[in-house]
Amino acid sequence: MIWQLDLLILSLIVLCALATISVKDLFSAAIIFGAYSFLMCLLWTEMGAVDVAFTEASVGAGVSTVLFVAAVFRTTRKVKDRGVKRYWTKGVGLLAATSVGGVLIAAVGDFPGFADPLSPASTHLSPYFITNTLTDTAVPNIVTSVLADYRGYDTMFETAVIFAAGLAVIAILRRSKTGVQHESREKVILSEGYEDTIIRLVARKMVPFMQLFALYVLAHGHHSPGGGFQGGVILGASFILIAISYDMKMLLGRMSEKWNVLLGNIGVLVYAGIGFVCLLLGANFLDYSILHRILPATDEIMARSHGMLGIETGVAIAVSAIVVSLYVNIASQGKHDKGL
Amino acid sequence: MIASEQAVALMVVLPLLSALVINMAGWFDRRLCFPIALFALLGSCCSAFITVSRVIKSGVIHYRLGGWAPPMGIEYVVDHLNALVLVIIFVVSLLALLFSYKSIQVELPEKILQFYTLYLLLVAGLAGMTITGDAFNLYVLMEISALTSYALIALGDKRALVASFNYIILGTIGASLYLLGVGHLYIMTGSLNMADLQTILPALLDARAIAVAFVLVMGGVWVKMAFFPMHGWLPNAYSYAPSSTSCLVAPLMTKVSVYIMIRMMFSVFNPNYIFVYLDWGRLVVPLATVAIIFGSISALAQKDLRKMLTYIIVAEVGYMVGGAWLANVTGLTGAIYHILADAMMTLCLFMVVGAIIYKLKDSSMDSMEFIFRRMPVTSVVFVIGAFAMIGIPPTCGFFSKWYLISGAIETSQWHYIFALLFSSLVNAFVFFRLFEIGFFGKKPADGHDHHAPEIAVSEAPVTMLVPMVLTALSLIAIGIYTNEIVTVLITKTLPVGL
Repeated sequence: MIWQLDLLILSLIVLCALATISVKDLFSAAIIFGAYSFLMCLLWTEMGAVDVAFTEASVGAGVSTVLFVAAVFRTTRKVKDRGVKRYWTKGVGLLAATSVGGVLIAAVGDFPGFADPLSPASTHLSPYFITNTLTDTAVPNIVTSVLADYRGYDTMFETAVIFAAGLAVIAILRRSKTGVQHESREKVILSEGYEDTIIRLVARKMVPFMQLFALYVLAHGHHSPGGGFQGGVILGASFILIAISYDMKMLLGRMSEKWNVLLGNIGVLVYAGIGFVCLLLGANFLDYSILHRILPATDEIMARSHGMLGIETGVAIAVSAIVVSLYVNIASQGKHDKGL
Repeated sequence: MIASEQAVALMVVLPLLSALVINMAGWFDRRLCFPIALFALLGSCCSAFITVSRVIKSGVIHYRLGGWAPPMGIEYVVDHLNALVLVIIFVVSLLALLFSYKSIQVELPEKILQFYTLYLLLVAGLAGMTITGDAFNLYVLMEISALTSYALIALGDKRALVASFNYIILGTIGASLYLLGVGHLYIMTGSLNMADLQTILPALLDARAIAVAFVLVMGGVWVKMAFFPMHGWLPNAYSYAPSSTSCLVAPLMTKVSVYIMIRMMFSVFNPNYIFVYLDWGRLVVPLATVAIIFGSISALAQKDLRKMLTYIIVAEVGYMVGGAWLANVTGLTGAIYHILADAMMTLCLFMVVGAIIYKLKDSSMDSMEFIFRRMPVTSVVFVIGAFAMIGIPPTCGFFSKWYLISGAIETSQWHYIFALLFSSLVNAFVFFRLFEIGFFGKKPADGHDHHAPEIAVSEAPVTMLVPMVLTALSLIAIGIYTNEIVTVLITKTLPVGL
């Protein structure tokens, strides 16, 4: 931990946060917000939370910036500040914000020091995880085993949250005219509107590597930072890259809406289904150790490791499909005709 | 035997799994959605009843998810309190599902698939919030229920989009406050398990960060339940939503939030800390009084039936918060009993309005004109629901007010008693005005003939009438069996040291 670096990063974060809410151009706001996420990512790395940093980089700085840009592109770039004269509303907002801030500052005095090895968070549960994870689950990455096994139930619903988000966007934005929906299948048109050969060529060469890397992140999550969420987001981003560098028809020609939604669904179902299989085999919900009865050549501990790989794969499938679905619906206002 | 042990998990898992199955099956045939949802909720309902009987027979149930012992893993803890709330959730969602069968076909014919998937996810979220014994897991499930309800509300007309957007902003602020509070607790204790937190916290009585955590958690939950003055999002969100949505969301969301408040107050923190050390009961009960009076007066000013009901919800939230913060056994009993009573009353009245909208495409007060002749069964259900809201004896509304008022007398909180009586009076006024319109039509101000026109009976369809009648009967049954409900379930949940 280098406090000078932390101080620099933290002050830049505050600057970015202020710039995001004060800038009038929403496109700039989205980009500055992406920078904010990258700085957060640096801060997490500084704290040693590499898995969190990875997620922040792929989700916060990567995909959500693209989604913001798509939303801005489809709505408006300029803030309409109609409520300039409503001082009363602003006063209430100021009062609420300062009181919450005051309450938060009041608590700081009681907090343990930064990276204090004697803090409750480091002494209460962490020693158990550090000493027992490998013998309990045969997974060296403690973060993965806490996320996917000890607290796997949380992660299942986190995946369901993403699924619900995708579904919510479809429910609100999608304008389904049966018949029109399948029209785009006829032919994959490579170009419509603005083209750039260099961008297309580079994107085209990058996509396979991105997808390979996504699979690596997913599969290597047991041993190094990464896992289903990060892998899924990178996989989804590779599809979004196709849609941005070519056009939406190119993407939808390769991955139709129906398959996209079904894949998102199947991903969550893989997760919940593995949990349910454990329940059917007579153990508690999500108790992967019972899976050794149906998996060949595994004991109870390896069954937990394999169970985690199974659910991480489910997460990756769900996240990648839903990220694509979010982009497609937001960038085309639910019409699925053309993107950015 | 195994089935009855796993019933605890099945309650949450069945709606989740069936939501996913519906979303897949629905792509092939939309007619499959409703039966799958129905069977899933029936299964959950049965599991809930099995669990309640187990809790009554053998006490608190612990269920380890993933087989990990708490506080390392996440556990379900079902005691008498959340067993009761779980039954409410599944009964209400089952009845509202039956009710939605017809209305959804009229209101959202193109989004049936998404509606039922989101509906079941919402039920899974609400049940998961109620059943969990882990403070962070509660937040994850809160996200599920919030996200799905934003979408379900936004499916309404154009105004619903703006209402839902306001709800998203405020709901997210509420959830963030809750998460910050849990974060403070984690920093100070290193644990997320509620039972574990409760054993650690008394040693940290003097830490200011713990008080801050308590403020943040309560603030978050209050935004979520639309407690005055954080109620701004609720009236529009609930009244512009599709009526099938509001039948599910209006009875359950605020009630589950009240449950979470009670759970956090007494199962994470403790009465001694809240009422003796901090002594904030004297601050919150007056706020509840203001909430009740504000909600009632606003309800009086409304011309739209659903808007009026939503302001009554704001007042009812004041009842429950006030009851829980009275710091005595009677008040808390009243608050818990009112969770049950108010969920059923709200469901009853929202279904009536939904049926009226279904038949007449209108939810203004004028639509009640001659309703007693036009829709006789619906209007009888309406009368029972209204009596419960006012608090007329055989219905459950009377008994919850009885407990709340007795609790307030014990601690001499006269302003709260005044607010309760005032709110009853306002409810009586509002509903009797509607009865009058329903019987005699609007006053013939401009000299029309006094004879009512001939109106043919045209009732709502059977799938709407059955849940409506069942709910109305349950209002009376809950009232009659008040004593049993209180002794068998509620008194067992009261915290030690209150």
